[in-house]
Amino acid sequence: MRKIIGIDIGGTFTDFVTYDPATNQIENWKNLTTPAEPIKGVMQGLEKMETLADVDKARLGTTIATNALLTRRGANVAYVTTTGFRDIPFIQRGNRKAHYDITWIKTRPFVERANCFEIDGRITAKGDEWAPLDENAVRELAAKIKQDGTIEAVAICTLFSYVDPKHEFRIREILAEELPGMPLSISYDVLPKWKEYDRASTTIADAYLKPVVAENFRKMQAQFDELGLGKKVGVIKSNGGEATLASAADAPVQMALSGPTGAVVATRIMSELTGIKNLVVFDMGGTSTDCSTVVDGAEHVTTNFEIEWGIPIQIPMIDINTIGAGGGSIAWIDKGGMLRMGPQSASADPGPACYGRGGQDATVTDANVVLGRISPDNFLGGEMTLDSEASHAAVGRIAKDLGMEVDECAFAMVQIANNNMLGALRAVLLQRGLDPRDFTLVASGGAGPVHVCDLMDISGIPKGLVPNFPGQFSAFGFIMTDARVDRHRTVQQSSKFFDGERATQAMASLVTDAIKELHDQGYTDRIEIKRSIEARYLGQNHELELHFNGEEFNEATIATMWEDFHKEHKIRHGFAIPGETIETVNFKVVAVAVSEKPVMPDLEKTEGKLTAKSTRKVRFKDGWHEVSVFDRADLRQDDEIAGPALIEESASVTIVQPDHRIVVDRIGNLIISA
Amino acid sequence: MDFVTMNILDSAMVSICREMGITLMKTSYSTIFNEALDFTCGLADMNGDMIAVADFCPAQIGGMPLLVQSCLKEIPISDIHEGDIILHNDPYRGGLHTPEHTFFKPIFVEGEIMGFAVAIGHIAEVGGMAPGGFCGEATEIFQEGVRIPPVKIVKRGEDNVEVWKLLLANVRTPRVNYGDLKALIAAVDLGEKQMQGIFAKYGKAKVKETVADLLLYSEKRMRAELEMIPDGIYSFDDYVESDGVESDKNHLIHVDVHKNGGSIVMDYHGTSPQAIGPINATLGVATSAAYNAVLHMTDPTIPRNSGCFRPIEVMAEPGSLLNVDFPAPSVGGNTETHPRIVGTILGAMSKALPDRVMAAEGGTHCNFVFGGVDADTKEYFACYDLEAVGWGGRSFADGNSAVDSINGNCRITPVEVYETRFPWLIESLALDTDSGGAGKHRGGLGYSKQMLCVNDVITCSQMTDRHLLAPWGLEGGKEGGCGATLVMKDGEDTWKTMREAYGKASTSRFNNVAIRRGDRVLLRMPGGGGYGDPAERDPDAVLSDLKDGYISKEAAKKYYGYKEA
Repeated sequence: MRKIIGIDIGGTFTDFVTYDPATNQIENWKNLTTPAEPIKGVMQGLEKMETLADVDKARLGTTIATNALLTRRGANVAYVTTTGFRDIPFIQRGNRKAHYDITWIKTRPFVERANCFEIDGRITAKGDEWAPLDENAVRELAAKIKQDGTIEAVAICTLFSYVDPKHEFRIREILAEELPGMPLSISYDVLPKWKEYDRASTTIADAYLKPVVAENFRKMQAQFDELGLGKKVGVIKSNGGEATLASAADAPVQMALSGPTGAVVATRIMSELTGIKNLVVFDMGGTSTDCSTVVDGAEHVTTNFEIEWGIPIQIPMIDINTIGAGGGSIAWIDKGGMLRMGPQSASADPGPACYGRGGQDATVTDANVVLGRISPDNFLGGEMTLDSEASHAAVGRIAKDLGMEVDECAFAMVQIANNNMLGALRAVLLQRGLDPRDFTLVASGGAGPVHVCDLMDISGIPKGLVPNFPGQFSAFGFIMTDARVDRHRTVQQSSKFFDGERATQAMASLVTDAIKELHDQGYTDRIEIKRSIEARYLGQNHELELHFNGEEFNEATIATMWEDFHKEHKIRHGFAIPGETIETVNFKVVAVAVSEKPVMPDLEKTEGKLTAKSTRKVRFKDGWHEVSVFDRADLRQDDEIAGPALIEESASVTIVQPDHRIVVDRIGNLIISA
Repeated sequence: MDFVTMNILDSAMVSICREMGITLMKTSYSTIFNEALDFTCGLADMNGDMIAVADFCPAQIGGMPLLVQSCLKEIPISDIHEGDIILHNDPYRGGLHTPEHTFFKPIFVEGEIMGFAVAIGHIAEVGGMAPGGFCGEATEIFQEGVRIPPVKIVKRGEDNVEVWKLLLANVRTPRVNYGDLKALIAAVDLGEKQMQGIFAKYGKAKVKETVADLLLYSEKRMRAELEMIPDGIYSFDDYVESDGVESDKNHLIHVDVHKNGGSIVMDYHGTSPQAIGPINATLGVATSAAYNAVLHMTDPTIPRNSGCFRPIEVMAEPGSLLNVDFPAPSVGGNTETHPRIVGTILGAMSKALPDRVMAAEGGTHCNFVFGGVDADTKEYFACYDLEAVGWGGRSFADGNSAVDSINGNCRITPVEVYETRFPWLIESLALDTDSGGAGKHRGGLGYSKQMLCVNDVITCSQMTDRHLLAPWGLEGGKEGGCGATLVMKDGEDTWKTMREAYGKASTSRFNNVAIRRGDRVLLRMPGGGGYGDPAERDPDAVLSDLKDGYISKEAAKKYYGYKEA
């Protein structure tokens, strides 16, 4: 195996991590991102490598699709649906974002109402054809779209297409004939599952993204071709798996969340390397914090995602809970005199007061500077010097209004910020029925290691882990990624009348499709298949996922499946209803082409006593301490450090609180315990 | 006050309430829970004061303190043991209406009760004279379903089997009800367990003290908000158009809002006497509606607990529409009369707070309920279907189209779920052109749902409003479009109202109509009123409305001075 490069294109920086199997070395660096032209930062960053000749694979995380959705710069989409239902994207679900907010304005879909069209034809819930498709109407619509000339992509979603997609297939066929070259998305390909609004919204998003993602990926492909890496480049999908640029451009909604998945994949690899089964990763940056879990060595994949409130995009994606709280979150005092943090953020520009770029607001980062936790001389590896006085002044203004001492106020700011982030941890643990006491908290992002001990304490998570290069953890994850395809389909059957043969067939066809998709992209080796079923008690509307081991639904496997369901319901929700009818809803298949993984180099073993590079004053719960500061590069395997202590590295600092201690593991992770 | 601990405890408790709600959503059986989310989860202290609540259904939030307090009057604290769960739904014991079932569980810490975990949920089938709970023609509470006084459904951790048997024998869908009741129990179990964790971490004394401070803090914030509203007496009128029993009679809701410094009094004197039919509001509903209106007009970031409610007082004459006497029916009070009260208060305050109100919204939940025996499965089904309406225009924006009325925050059930569960074929779900009242800021649009019956027979009832009296505009804005319920019988080709087709007293409230295979039902939800003179509307907005079909060419000419090129 030769060199692998992981590249994470972020809003401010593009991160690079390379692994060279010849030397067993991992290297990392950063380059500024040009938001208007994301490929530029990639190319500039690659120039820093001596040669690209020995590169075997380059994997990219990109925010092109996310940004197009968030900034609403996608295609002018036409939406084609069953007669009577063109308003589904506008009616939505009828609920509102918050109670008591009379100023709220309902979220617009990614399509204009004037561009929504209806076609006669109807499939029923049971799969019968109630009314045939009006093919002439489809041809007339094609003529209209051609004449209009402004439509750039078409989304097709008919009622009950997840039961029988023949009308969608036929509409696509006719439109492809009549409108050659027009990007077309059908809901059966994008999301063959029930609930028409969710399916429509996801299909519209796919069409909305097609032209812009295709254009960007074409450019990228050309640039990589020039570098001779054309066949070696892959992009990261929202499910954390790799795909070729061409296949990703065909189903661009799969790219809705790409970059942040790297940290979760990296966490899963950490689970394999360290043998720790349950990890929760907490990736804290300047403006936001991403939380996600790895349970029994696997990421949690969800289809429950909204790009904006009320706009679901229900593709399989790694379940990441993002909250708008980070180092840049601003302190303020509400009308009742209570100190609050965020959600307003100083973001990267002007940034916290200590950046010295004109920011006046006191942020979490400023509080950490006041508390002595972040050194003004070691920010971004010393590339940037922080203005400590500006932090004191900004926090001082809040402290004065509250009648507090400056350090006491900074301490309260950090406590409240931690509590806000605790909300994101609760969302991925307790709200899914997972017990924090079974987990290890992985701290990444520049700010993660600063808060890791505090969050362990308030969340009840007993252990912590700070990986190597916590600031480039996502890019690190990309060098470990596999090609992955997720296929889902609604297959509704009840335990009373379960047709095993139909189920076996449905599962087999999902497997065939998934393997074909991998083969078509050139991934043919070491393919692993995982099957699962989403089921519920008949009448419930939310499902539990059960692994299905085996290929065939026979008496024995079916009986085990129902038994597993009752057990899982008891574990997740605290009760089961023995003897109750169970309904299967969705079948799911994950196909993974396992890539070769780097062998992480062992750190040298410790010899003699570890010495601190300096000391400084840091404020903890019980007041100020004179604290030893270590350089992470000096640490060796099995080194132990008792808190209070600071461990500094180029893009971060780990705060070891009093009553906590760290041990350095075989590959250099800092393992924290209380 | 220890603001830091307060901030942390407040958000931890709200998270617990949210976790309770997620459990309820994931495990319950009826679509009104798991799709529509018509429930509320909260925490109460020893006095029954609400100390935290998650954002689910607002109508139930305001009702929670009274609910818990009334239960505690009947079952003294000394009779409540660890592991007990109390259930009740009686509107005449602090409840809202019979479908609203309240579960609460004591939070025991070291053998002592420290408060209660509370879950309130709308149970779709409650027995009574019509499947689905909304009897549009009821004349006494006994027709509106099983009345449950405070009883222990779980005793010291064990199901109280006698209570379960009695309850399930009196409803049409015992299997579904069993699942929903189990889900409510799972929610309060979770709430108790999580709160025990909070007490273990901070200690009883600290939690008690901080919670008391938190309620004071919310009260202080609410008073500060109220002080910013000019003092005065503000009055307004609106009507509930029919009670389902007496034809052609409108029922007046009158409010005088007395705003004085940091407190506010809603005086409902002058409101019509209680109706014969089920549009009456209990004092709990009238109080909850007053809280709801005030929360809409004040800063939404104030932590929501009983402290917010301390500066708000309500006066309603016993025996009136807004303080009904036993044993009159009241099922529509909570869904139809509640939003009408909120709208009346917002209307009264429109001069004083032009930026915190809107013109009349559609103000109904549609409440189309039905049941029957499925021709294929032979199982009894029942459904409570609620729909959304248009919001009123605002001084700064158009009204939103198709949003649940102001006292709910429920979701519409997807067509594909609806048809899978119930024997209807939905033929269309479409916004109604011109249903948003004209104005400088147009009202939001309502929509229509057209359904074809594909079962031998489905028994249908409804409790809705605004078929005759349109949603009003403000500051020169025009009225929004009315709603309608129409039927086209198999083989006929005209749409008729329920009055025309079945001789019902009212078009909007009726019981037990037998809809047969091939019959069609059309439910039209009202739009919202407009805000401001339509002549002042931005011409570009008129053109874009025209292009998107939100308004017709005729309306554009009539209200907005549009001239064809």
